[in-house]
Amino acid sequence: MKRSKKFIGAVSISVLALAVAACGGNGGGNEATEPNGGAAGTEQLAKISLFQSKVEIAEPLEALAEKYKEETGNEVEVWGSAGDAYITQLQTKLAANEGPTIFSVAPGAEAQKFSSYYYDMSNEEYVKNIAPNMALEIDGKVVGVPTGVEGFGVVYNQDMVDPATITDVASFAGALEKFKAEGVNGFSLSQEAYFLIGHIINTPFALQPDPAAFLEQLNKGEVKMADTKEFQEFAQIMEAIRTHATNPMEVTYDSQMGDLATGKTAMVHQGNWSYGMLADYDDVNVGMMALPIGGNKKIAVDIPAGWVINNTASAEQIEAANAFLNWMITSETGKNTIVNEFGFIPAITTIEAESLNLDPLSQVVYDATQSGETIPWALNLFPQGIIVNDLAPVTSAFFLDNSMTPEQYLQNLDQVWAKAAK
Amino acid sequence: MNKKMDRVWYAVFTVPLLLIFITVVIIPFIIGIAYSFISWDGIPANPKVFVGLDNYATLFQDERFLTSAWNTLKFTVLALISVNVFGLLFSLIVTAGFKTSNLARTLIFMPNLIGGLILGYIWKFIFTDGFKQIGASTGMDSVFFNWLINPEFALYALVIVFTWQMAGYTMIIYIAGINGISEEVMEAAKVDGANLWYRLTRIVFPLLMPSFTICLFLTLSGAFKIYDVNLSLTNGGPMHTTELFAMNIFNEIFGYGNYGLGQAKAIVFFIVVAAVTLTQVVITKRKEVQM
Repeated sequence: MKRSKKFIGAVSISVLALAVAACGGNGGGNEATEPNGGAAGTEQLAKISLFQSKVEIAEPLEALAEKYKEETGNEVEVWGSAGDAYITQLQTKLAANEGPTIFSVAPGAEAQKFSSYYYDMSNEEYVKNIAPNMALEIDGKVVGVPTGVEGFGVVYNQDMVDPATITDVASFAGALEKFKAEGVNGFSLSQEAYFLIGHIINTPFALQPDPAAFLEQLNKGEVKMADTKEFQEFAQIMEAIRTHATNPMEVTYDSQMGDLATGKTAMVHQGNWSYGMLADYDDVNVGMMALPIGGNKKIAVDIPAGWVINNTASAEQIEAANAFLNWMITSETGKNTIVNEFGFIPAITTIEAESLNLDPLSQVVYDATQSGETIPWALNLFPQGIIVNDLAPVTSAFFLDNSMTPEQYLQNLDQVWAKAAK
Repeated sequence: MNKKMDRVWYAVFTVPLLLIFITVVIIPFIIGIAYSFISWDGIPANPKVFVGLDNYATLFQDERFLTSAWNTLKFTVLALISVNVFGLLFSLIVTAGFKTSNLARTLIFMPNLIGGLILGYIWKFIFTDGFKQIGASTGMDSVFFNWLINPEFALYALVIVFTWQMAGYTMIIYIAGINGISEEVMEAAKVDGANLWYRLTRIVFPLLMPSFTICLFLTLSGAFKIYDVNLSLTNGGPMHTTELFAMNIFNEIFGYGNYGLGQAKAIVFFIVVAAVTLTQVVITKRKEVQM
């Protein structure tokens, strides 16, 4: 009996200790922490935190923070995130007043949503280095530095696919059929919401004469995807994938890229960011072409996100955040990291992209940007959360239920869109 | 003197916990009730509009919420049965006096030590890759296929994983109950010629009623509130067929940014869980017998 009393005592004390520790440990967000360590003599700036959405650059970003500390003695804490959950986490942190000093948001609906948090960087020196029309602007104020330019389309294995032969929906479906007969998977989407539907559905939107106006009409229910030619072709492409290729629900991002690299898959729908996963394989030649809806020849290029500074952070932290962004886009280390480690195609004039060693996919995107042969990312204007919550489940249903016709698929998409846009 | 000391010790242990309980449970709960009457998108700078009972009216027309309620009900009933059947079975086996019973106890309990998230990811691998391999190599691909992308089987997959996680835990409680039954009674029954089934149903089960009360309560509330396994195993998919209560609330709040509506759902959820578990405890308590 005595023993058990002692035991209970020990347990309660440890629980208390834990609770106290937990209460004390959450200060990382808003308080200006004492600068510690670093080079003596140089001016110390407040420690800041950085939170971003791209899983691919998590490691190089932490390495960059290390280098920043080495060179300037100032500290940047990089917070980990995981793709689809990023916005949720960001929102929770901001609502709890523990927001990061610098975070990234996608232009469009997402940027608008958090707009009350942005520090107005219009008058900062480094803003002049942003390429024309590439800054993240809200109400005429520059609020974000673009992370870079990105593009997506059909990524193909050059040894297996001749892009000149795939120019419309019929030839696309034909190619898939041919590959299936050869025992190769012709085309692969993967089960994650954005790779399953989010990116690929961008094309029919972007091909509209005025995507923004079309989206507005769609939100109001004045137009239907089911009645629009580009979407009908899109649905035919999805059906061709369902009939002739591996079920996307069985494919993950990792296996999608791995199979492309090893020749088990001929084409995938991906962006230049995915080259990071291909770089591990030695002998793979990839290219990127357009998704051939309505004879489209252009890939989708836009800025995926901008770095913004949280205006609820302390003045010292905002100053430190400005210093960091400035360092990132003007110092040699920063510029080098952006291009060579992040694999970003820069949207900043301080970096001469011609002199840089771009990977094959980024090269395609860069060339397209230069020639202007691009379509926009209409998906940035979608109602918030619609890809993950509505479009993806309907698309899963389409891929799991062979009796759903392309027409029904479009009608279902229309139906969930009407609900989500309310 | 002694009594006074007792009271001091009582306060030392109770007051801090009470404070913590009030700050992290009671106060947020009350604030939560207030939130359920407003419409708000979660951005502190944006307006909070008082809408009265609108949120409650909306949620009963929300098809996805009602579907998730139905899914939760199905899941809970299945999980309740399977967790307790297996837990009881295991406890009877390991108390039967086999040589390896200690080892078996440990092994059966072990899954409970693994976090639900990790458990879900492990089983996701088993269902996606393992089952496919088994199906391909044995030819039984009507049973062994990827359950997680089949709208009908995904929920059963969830039940299996939940049972895997919880059966060991309920087993421990049942073992304690079984050990509390006096040997003499069992001996006497044996001498009187009662067979195993008779001994189980007439002696063991009635005397195990307190254990049933606890185990049923734990599994019932656990199954209702499940989120971690749900998230890592299926993430509500395919097509929301395994989206249970907690996940639906999370998606409403963070996916769509409807803080008020989500909170209203959470309040309804609380009332349902409280009502069901209380009813269960009252019913099973009444069946408890004294020796």
